[in-house]
Amino acid sequence: MELSINNNQSVLDEEKGRESSNTIQYIVVRLGEEQYGIDIRNIDNIVKMPRITHVPKLPAYLKGVINMRGEVIPVLSIRLKMGLADDVITKATRILIVKLEEEGNVGFIVDEVKEVVTLYETDIEKISSDITAEKGSLINAVGKHNGELISIFDLAAISLEEN
Amino acid sequence: MDVSQYLEIFLDETNEHLTNLNTRIMELESDPDNMDTINEIFRAAHSLKGMAGTMGYKRMQTLTHDMENVFSEVRNGVIKVNSEIIDVLFQCLDALEEYKDNIQGSADEGTNDNEPIIKMLNSILNGGSAPAKPAAVPETAPSKDAPDNKWDHVVLDDSQVTVIREAQKQGKRVYGLNVMVQDSCILKAARAFLVFKAVEERGEIIVSDPSAQDVEDEKFDRDFTLIILSDAELDEIIQASKAVSEIDRVIGAEIDLANNKNVHFVPEEEGTEAVEEEPPKEEMPVESAAVPAAAPAAPAAKPEPKKQAPAKPVVNRTVRVDIEKLDSLMNLVSELIIAKNSLVSVSSQEQTDVNSAFNEQIEYLESVTTNLHESVMKVRMVPIESVVTKFPRMIRDLSKKLDKKMELYMTGEETELDRTVVDQIGDPLMHLLRNSADHGLESAEVRVQRGKPAVGSIFLDAYQEGNTVVIEVRDDGNGIDVEAVKQKAIDRGTITAEQAANMTDKEIIDLLFLPSFSTAKKVTDVSGRGVGLDVVKSMIESLSGEVEVKSKLGEGSTWTIRLPLTLAIIQALMVVVGEEKYAISLGSIQTLEDIPASDVKLVQNKEVIHLRGTVIPLIRLNEILDVERKPSDEENLIVVIVKKGDRLAGLVIDELIGQQEIVIKSLGRYIKQCKFISGATILGDGEIALILDANTLI
Repeated sequence: MELSINNNQSVLDEEKGRESSNTIQYIVVRLGEEQYGIDIRNIDNIVKMPRITHVPKLPAYLKGVINMRGEVIPVLSIRLKMGLADDVITKATRILIVKLEEEGNVGFIVDEVKEVVTLYETDIEKISSDITAEKGSLINAVGKHNGELISIFDLAAISLEEN
Repeated sequence: MDVSQYLEIFLDETNEHLTNLNTRIMELESDPDNMDTINEIFRAAHSLKGMAGTMGYKRMQTLTHDMENVFSEVRNGVIKVNSEIIDVLFQCLDALEEYKDNIQGSADEGTNDNEPIIKMLNSILNGGSAPAKPAAVPETAPSKDAPDNKWDHVVLDDSQVTVIREAQKQGKRVYGLNVMVQDSCILKAARAFLVFKAVEERGEIIVSDPSAQDVEDEKFDRDFTLIILSDAELDEIIQASKAVSEIDRVIGAEIDLANNKNVHFVPEEEGTEAVEEEPPKEEMPVESAAVPAAAPAAPAAKPEPKKQAPAKPVVNRTVRVDIEKLDSLMNLVSELIIAKNSLVSVSSQEQTDVNSAFNEQIEYLESVTTNLHESVMKVRMVPIESVVTKFPRMIRDLSKKLDKKMELYMTGEETELDRTVVDQIGDPLMHLLRNSADHGLESAEVRVQRGKPAVGSIFLDAYQEGNTVVIEVRDDGNGIDVEAVKQKAIDRGTITAEQAANMTDKEIIDLLFLPSFSTAKKVTDVSGRGVGLDVVKSMIESLSGEVEVKSKLGEGSTWTIRLPLTLAIIQALMVVVGEEKYAISLGSIQTLEDIPASDVKLVQNKEVIHLRGTVIPLIRLNEILDVERKPSDEENLIVVIVKKGDRLAGLVIDELIGQQEIVIKSLGRYIKQCKFISGATILGDGEIALILDANTLI
């Protein structure tokens, strides 16, 4: 208990010191053991796993389509997209409805949605393009939060790489 | 004045007027003495001019103005319409169309003055009126003296008439004065102001036409008309006015109110008419002959107004609605139908003891949503007329260009289609018509040799057939030379000689729809660049339609386009394959069959069934759709027989659900659709079912 108060205190101190700095809010999700962040401004909604309608002749990572308030939305598996093992659907599994600029709304399957964090821009480190050029990488930055690392999704990569 | 907000309306109306002009001028060509047509043309040209003037499109205005002059002479019987005049008029319309396109693209009319056309118009005018009078001198009685006595045409309101009468009683003189500024004058307003000043020193200006304010703002062409009360001599006033530099001409006379036709009219009538007339008001006096014609209420009605009357209701009472608003309305209706469907599915799941009132209400809701849907669809429906009216003109031009005689016969212009379809159907139809004109019809000599009438016929027929609209382009020309097509395909390496030997005529004709396949022996600029039929096909398919051709060598060809009436909501058969539900449009379903598994035969290693004398290929949907089939021990297969044109195929499904009205939704841009899925729909329980496009499966 005491510890957490101290923690909060230090966070407050930090905030005071960087009031001028810009902050971005991220939704933190879990995929396997790793944490990933998505800019909250790109999130339309988070839903529990609905029944996914299978669409034939699609790449494996495209799981199908779901009905989101009368709109048909494609759902993709971030795990398969990143070359990880296929999703195991649990009670914690969620679909993040993400707004892509070109393609409209798309659903991402994630293992768990953890929290919303506020990161200062100075806490976010861009990853050099050498690493991101590697095929399948959807990450373009890493943010630090409470001593943990959060990989930040590059939505442009997800939308561009498509098809 | 900022007119940008009126741009859309302007474009819409310009379109209407241009279409109207095109049609009417065609009519005029075949019936040069029809006063109704001439009046209608005159009216359309006049509105067009007014609109262009209001919007500040000077070049467009000038061109329409000159065109209108020609019409006015035609109307007065001074000029006889002949083929050359019609040609020039059509060129005018093309030029106007170009202005319109420029305006549509950039809100600017462009810089083309179209001087050659204007010159031609003027030469028609000069050639037509023997004494080479200026264009604006119509020869009919009511306006014979128009430019000289313009003050007799000035619109006077009650009070002004009273003032004039009073003044005359008091022995004052009332003069009408018409001042013409030099053509080259740059500061028209300033010169006019000096004239005003000179006149005011000698008398009182009661009326100015255009108004003093307009004159000050330079909103007049070259001349303005004043009515003055004065004690001075007329000559003195004229001299004083002329003393102002850059004044071309000043004429005047003492006014006799009896001469002013407008005073005889009911002033209010004329007043409203004047408001409706477009701002270039200097036109008013010259047009005064037209004004009574356009206002059936005017007491001085000559025969024209009566003829005009039946033409009036042609202009429908409409509201222009942004198509996006309609789309969103349509979406809402779709939502409503989905909600209704889910209520239906809830009620059918519950036991039968759900009270009957509930069911009744659902049925009521169902009928309301169906009607609502139909109405919204109807709002989106427009007659194909707007597209096809330009074709007679096109065929006429083609006839001249290709030096072949041909006639276009159209029926069913009133057939309605979804607005989005109508907007896009024009180009494919134009391709087909050009194709018929260029490749289909033979030259007159050949036709006569073959015992056909020298004038070729092209038919454009549109009609509704069930849930589809059929548009047929037919000609009585040469038809498609299958052998020539075959030879060409072999030469081009599209097919091998062996393949060709095995192909039916129909299959060979279908080769025409492949990209870059043109059999025209001569490349003309009408058609035959190898683009065309494949474009036609892809455009029509993008509208969920299909196109096919039937042809008989020596007798002609028929191109048939089938388009769905609506694009958004269809009646479909719901089926189950594996774990998934699919919808198949009822339009493409022929029958449902229960086939014993033992009836399935193999032909060329493909499964077929023999049904009532036809061999029908079987398609196992679970294989195509990548789904596991439900293990079933049933002996029979459920087969949905679908048709596309003449061809049939049997789709093997696991289970039938039934017929349902479904709302077609796109799968979104993220998913590159496989070609046999034409979309998705949301079922009553919120699940998604994919829509199978049976056409692509066959």
